[in-house]
Amino acid sequence: MNKNILTAGDKDFLEESENEHKKKKRDSTREKRRRRNGRRKRSSSSAEGEKELKERSDYKDRGRRKSLKNEKRPKRSERDEGNWGQTMHKTPKKKKSMNTKTRKINNNEEEEAKERMKKKHGRAKSDEKKENKDKAKEKTQEPKKKKHKKVVESSSEQETSEEEDDKETNDDDEVRPECLSPEELEKLKEAVEEKKKLIQSLKGKPWPMKKKLVTLRESQEFVEKYEGALGKGKGRKLYAYKVMMTKKWVKFQRDFENFKTACIPWEMKIKEIESHFGSSVASYFIFLRWMYGINMILFGLTFGLVMVPEALMGRPYGSIPRKTVPRAEEASAMDFAVLWDFKGYAQYSVLFYGFYNNQRAVGWLKFRMPLSYFLVGVGTVAYSYMVVIRTMARNANESGIGDDNSFNFSWKMFTSWDYLIGNPETADNKKDYFLFLLRIKEAILEEQESRKDDNIHLTRFLRVLANFLVLCCLAGSGYLIYFVVRRSQKFTLEGLENHTWWERNEVNMVMSLLGMFCPMLFDVISTLENYHPRVALQWQLGRIFALFLGNLYTFIIALMDEINLKRKEETIVKFNITTWETSLYNSSMSGNVTAPPVTIHPADVPRGPCWETMVGQEFVRLIISDTMTTYITLLIGDFLRAVLVRFLNYCWCWDLEAGFPSYSEFDVSGNVLGLIFNQGMIWMGSFYAPCLPALNVLRLHVSMYLQCWAVMCCNVPQERVFKASGSNNFYMAMLLVILFLSTLPAIYTIVTIPPSFDCGPFSGKNRMFDVIQETLESDFPAWFSKVFSYASNPGLVLPFILLMVLAIYYLQSTSKSYKEANVELKKKLQMQNEENKKKNKQAALKAQMDLEEARKAATQAAEHRRNNNASFQSQEVKVEENHGRNDRNHNGRYGCSSAGGSASQPSVRGPISRCYSNRGNSQYLPGLSQQTNPRIYRTPSLQSH
Amino acid sequence: MVSPAIALAFLPLVLTLIIRYRHYFVLFYRAVLVRIWKDCATGLSREERVYQYVLTHSTPGDPDSILEAFDFWCSKVEYISNIGPKKGKILDRLLMEQSPLTVLELGSHCGYSTIRIARALPLGARLYSIEMDQRNAAIAEKIIRLAGFDDDTVELIVKPSDEVIPQMRSNYGLERLDFVFMDHWKKCYLPDLQLLEECGLLGKGSMILADNVLFPGAPKFLRYLRKCGLYEWKIHRATLEYSRGIRDGMAELVYQGIK
Repeated sequence: MNKNILTAGDKDFLEESENEHKKKKRDSTREKRRRRNGRRKRSSSSAEGEKELKERSDYKDRGRRKSLKNEKRPKRSERDEGNWGQTMHKTPKKKKSMNTKTRKINNNEEEEAKERMKKKHGRAKSDEKKENKDKAKEKTQEPKKKKHKKVVESSSEQETSEEEDDKETNDDDEVRPECLSPEELEKLKEAVEEKKKLIQSLKGKPWPMKKKLVTLRESQEFVEKYEGALGKGKGRKLYAYKVMMTKKWVKFQRDFENFKTACIPWEMKIKEIESHFGSSVASYFIFLRWMYGINMILFGLTFGLVMVPEALMGRPYGSIPRKTVPRAEEASAMDFAVLWDFKGYAQYSVLFYGFYNNQRAVGWLKFRMPLSYFLVGVGTVAYSYMVVIRTMARNANESGIGDDNSFNFSWKMFTSWDYLIGNPETADNKKDYFLFLLRIKEAILEEQESRKDDNIHLTRFLRVLANFLVLCCLAGSGYLIYFVVRRSQKFTLEGLENHTWWERNEVNMVMSLLGMFCPMLFDVISTLENYHPRVALQWQLGRIFALFLGNLYTFIIALMDEINLKRKEETIVKFNITTWETSLYNSSMSGNVTAPPVTIHPADVPRGPCWETMVGQEFVRLIISDTMTTYITLLIGDFLRAVLVRFLNYCWCWDLEAGFPSYSEFDVSGNVLGLIFNQGMIWMGSFYAPCLPALNVLRLHVSMYLQCWAVMCCNVPQERVFKASGSNNFYMAMLLVILFLSTLPAIYTIVTIPPSFDCGPFSGKNRMFDVIQETLESDFPAWFSKVFSYASNPGLVLPFILLMVLAIYYLQSTSKSYKEANVELKKKLQMQNEENKKKNKQAALKAQMDLEEARKAATQAAEHRRNNNASFQSQEVKVEENHGRNDRNHNGRYGCSSAGGSASQPSVRGPISRCYSNRGNSQYLPGLSQQTNPRIYRTPSLQSH
Repeated sequence: MVSPAIALAFLPLVLTLIIRYRHYFVLFYRAVLVRIWKDCATGLSREERVYQYVLTHSTPGDPDSILEAFDFWCSKVEYISNIGPKKGKILDRLLMEQSPLTVLELGSHCGYSTIRIARALPLGARLYSIEMDQRNAAIAEKIIRLAGFDDDTVELIVKPSDEVIPQMRSNYGLERLDFVFMDHWKKCYLPDLQLLEECGLLGKGSMILADNVLFPGAPKFLRYLRKCGLYEWKIHRATLEYSRGIRDGMAELVYQGIK
């Protein structure tokens, strides 16, 4: 790719120079012709049939002439514009083979070339200018109705020299537009155009900023003032209207761009953070935003398809036992402490599984509630899988281009600087990064040396020890969580009222605290191992991952125990309820038979322990406490620390800011892992608590603002450089693993454990997925269920799975072969490059030898040289003219030769060889025979200078 | 009441803090706790104790043995923040390269660095050592004389540095300082440096060496160095004297003058 760009650049360079030469020549020829023929014959220059740039410049010429002279033929300008359009279209076509980047460069180059051409034109134009002025005087007699047309056309005029512009503005500053002679109007128009041009090209002018600003303001005022005044009558109004509309349109476009940027949520914030902390920290926030988007969609699904229909169309609160707070809890159901634990009224609401009724269809829409609940549960997970995998694939594509080891050092050299950084302190750190690289190299050397020593046993021992310590730590944290969960079960059995808040929230607290502090310990332990920093980072991430996973799974196992306990309780309750019902029935029967049936308030009805709701509550509590710990650590660990360090530093005996406590760094990897596990918990729990996505959206929203603020106000840029782009997919892979691991228990519970008998949308069914079967049987026509049963026949499913596996295998093997082909191509390119280099070298050598020969010849025949001088020069001129008329290829050579020729220094070796190398790059495999041609006649000419 | 399980969850944090900042804890123990304990136990100040030790454990007139005794006492018995042997080597090397004739030392404390500098000076060079504290100065005087340096080589000035520096030119007839060693209060580094600049005591090529710029640290001093552009400077990274884990550095400045 690099090579491509280079060659394209070279080509452009050659084109440019070639065009310049062409132009010079053409200018001169034109001037000659002008002298000969006057101005009437200039249209013949367009008939020369040349390349696009030439045409363009001609067009400019023509436009100018037209605006002054040929006003009676307005159609011509259109044709010319069409021409220009065509040429503009032509340029990209030619370079279709190049990729977009080179094309961009091309465009830039072309623009530059245009600019240069304009400047070149300057001289020719200044001549023209004089003519124009004469013309303008003649034109005063011309009818006024054409003024409008002229104004439109003059917009296509190209720029003229600046001195004139200044002069004219001075002239025109005082005039009133109403009382102007046509001549003055003409001048005014020109001045306005000048000003416009000036405004456009102001950016590129080598002036101080102050001058630029002043000029910009002045010229804008000028344009504002006089633009509308140009033209008269109808045309004038129309023109004013047009100008106004274009202005508004431009403004609208600009505003729209701003609006679009503003529409991307938190874009400006993230950009600001990126400018201060580099792309690694920004990548965390981008990840957070991405997560927020996904959670928004999950939230939309659960909220729109589950919570709202149940709340609006389902039976209201208090109508049935599962939707009512039991009598025993009624007194404290509205207390804040109870609500904070998601009990009381919070438990008996749409937020949790238990509230939903098993009514097949709700409301006038006949909304299939249980089916919807099930499908949304499955759909959220399926959607998450899809999004994560799609993002991974896209990232892999992006990284697939860049990651090759062939240009490792140049990549590092030229791309490792983070150009978005706007903060000097961060820049300092990044400068250290280069040092850091060097230091890494030194470290590698050192490590290699140390390995030769007998230290290897010590290192190994330390590494084993470190891993042992980490394992101990992991086991300890796992046991602690298990212990705490079991204890909390004991508490629940004893009744939670007897215990303090601390004891009731032990599980979540302990989990959050362990998740926060253990990584620190790992970090400290990892210094024992003496790994390379990158390896150390991987180990660290792996260990944190293991810790979080272990904690999560301990929690889930403990939860499973609890579920089993609840189910045992449920059987007892079931039995009790039947006895209770029979006793009720008996009592009512034993009483008056004619009495109305006993209505029992739903709050009094005994009910089973709804294990699904319990699971949901646990997860919600976990999320809440996790969020709280994150925020509190943010406030204490970052904010408070920053405040202390900042203000105690005035009266402390050592430097707090640079030394021991210092400000905290933003821990990207830890934060990302926290986010990932949080999301895992959401995926796990959202089936039993539909409110979880909503909570998570809230959490992410708040943490976006809070962390943005905290980062900007109390963190310092981190010293350890973390490559963001490379790690992105790593995080995604982690997310995928977590997604898989978190759906496992959810699916397990859904498939194996029968739902509670008296709560939730699936109550009364044997398994939760029976709802699909039920729908198939009752809602679809008979043939559909028949088809479905056939389709779900193992005889059909197995071949289908086989087919899928085959397809995957096929795709994988093709992708592998493509990869190989890519590698082959890359090799080929490299080979070709090397071959070219060799050939260039040979050519240069040969040229050198020839040159020396020529020199010898020159020294031997000194008198001959003087005689030959004149003839050679004339020859050269001729040759130049020939080539000017010929193709681009020849022009390239011509450009080269002239470059060599213009270098009048005695040491000719440099220019010649450079010339050839250029040619070698621009054209593949230059033949030697081609090269001999120009050299033969050039060498003596060089000698003659 | 916080349950024991939650308290146990804080164990990793405590362990982390202890392991990560163990050097600082050790330093705190040696420099503060032991000092207070010994002060109470012996009734002598730290400097007097070290003087007694040096007096009994070194040969008079031999700077090397005095320095060795100092190093042993500071690393094994108690802690005094001298420049120490490792950073002292850097100091020696710079002095050898520079071979300055007029040297100013700010903060001589017990005289360790004074001896170190005086030992490395060429013949006919003169060292002005400034110490603010009376008692410290008395001990430093004794130790310097013990090492065998007379008044012509080392002159001890017992005054605050910001008073002495403006008078250097008039009282001591100094035109230019070749070498300045700063090891006094870290907060005074910057004002003293500016004072030196104002009094015109620094000429082109004068070298200034400032100890402990990273720990305890002189951030304003370093910030000034970065900005002012009067100096060519670099930081020699090392560890804090008599302890291994704490990073410290010495700033080496060469005055370039206004370009």
